[in-house]
Amino acid sequence: MAERSTGGARLLVVVYAIVAVAATARSAVQLFTRFDEAPVAYLLSLLAAVVYIIATVALSRAGRTSRRVATAALVFELSGVIFVGTASLVFPDAFPRATVWSTYGSGYLFIPLALPIIGLWWLRRTSAAAAGPRAHDS
Amino acid sequence: MTGLFATGTIVASLAMATWALVHLVLNRPMSRALHSSQLVIAALFIVLAIGGIVQMIGSDRDFARVEFVGYLALSPVIPIGSWWWTRGDRTRVGSAIIVVVGLVMPVLVARIQQVWTGGG
Repeated sequence: MAERSTGGARLLVVVYAIVAVAATARSAVQLFTRFDEAPVAYLLSLLAAVVYIIATVALSRAGRTSRRVATAALVFELSGVIFVGTASLVFPDAFPRATVWSTYGSGYLFIPLALPIIGLWWLRRTSAAAAGPRAHDS
Repeated sequence: MTGLFATGTIVASLAMATWALVHLVLNRPMSRALHSSQLVIAALFIVLAIGGIVQMIGSDRDFARVEFVGYLALSPVIPIGSWWWTRGDRTRVGSAIIVVVGLVMPVLVARIQQVWTGGG
């Protein structure tokens, strides 16, 4: 088992895990019970849920590969919430049912928008320590 | 589902959050009792899940049953998971995690009650 992450990341992992569980459960219910109503929105929710799971696992491990995976997942999330958030305002008809990312995650207290920003900030802040001496160039 | 026991789970979760917040603010190492309190919360939510599902079976009302069972079944996973994640962690981060969990659980109960009454 890879070494567990330390410090503030441990709190971030918990918040991510809760969101991942909630998003996965919700999208599973949506897909199985009323997929026909809004296939695009529900598939997007499922995709978001999968990325939350990847981010949770990657953040929970200390190591360079995990950090890269976490960064990619968080960038994807941030892009998703900005793109879908904007699209849901400009083309409301395309999103008859809300996704986690609709209107920038306002249905979830803007947590979907705040989390990747906090996560990326944290990854950046701690990157010097994790990458070793080479990172001190900057 | 809107009964006294559900309210009890909210009160207990908030009490745990407050207790952990005291540790956090005073920068006290996490005590074994505080760490174990997460399992107490988990046990309460397991009882809530069993009670809720029994009540659901005894009712013929139309509401989102799949969602209801999903929330009930998954809610104990959170305090059990955080108990596992914070074991051996006596730092402030451990206390902060318990604060977050203690605040999330009442939201879950509110959501479960919403589904039960058909409001969501």
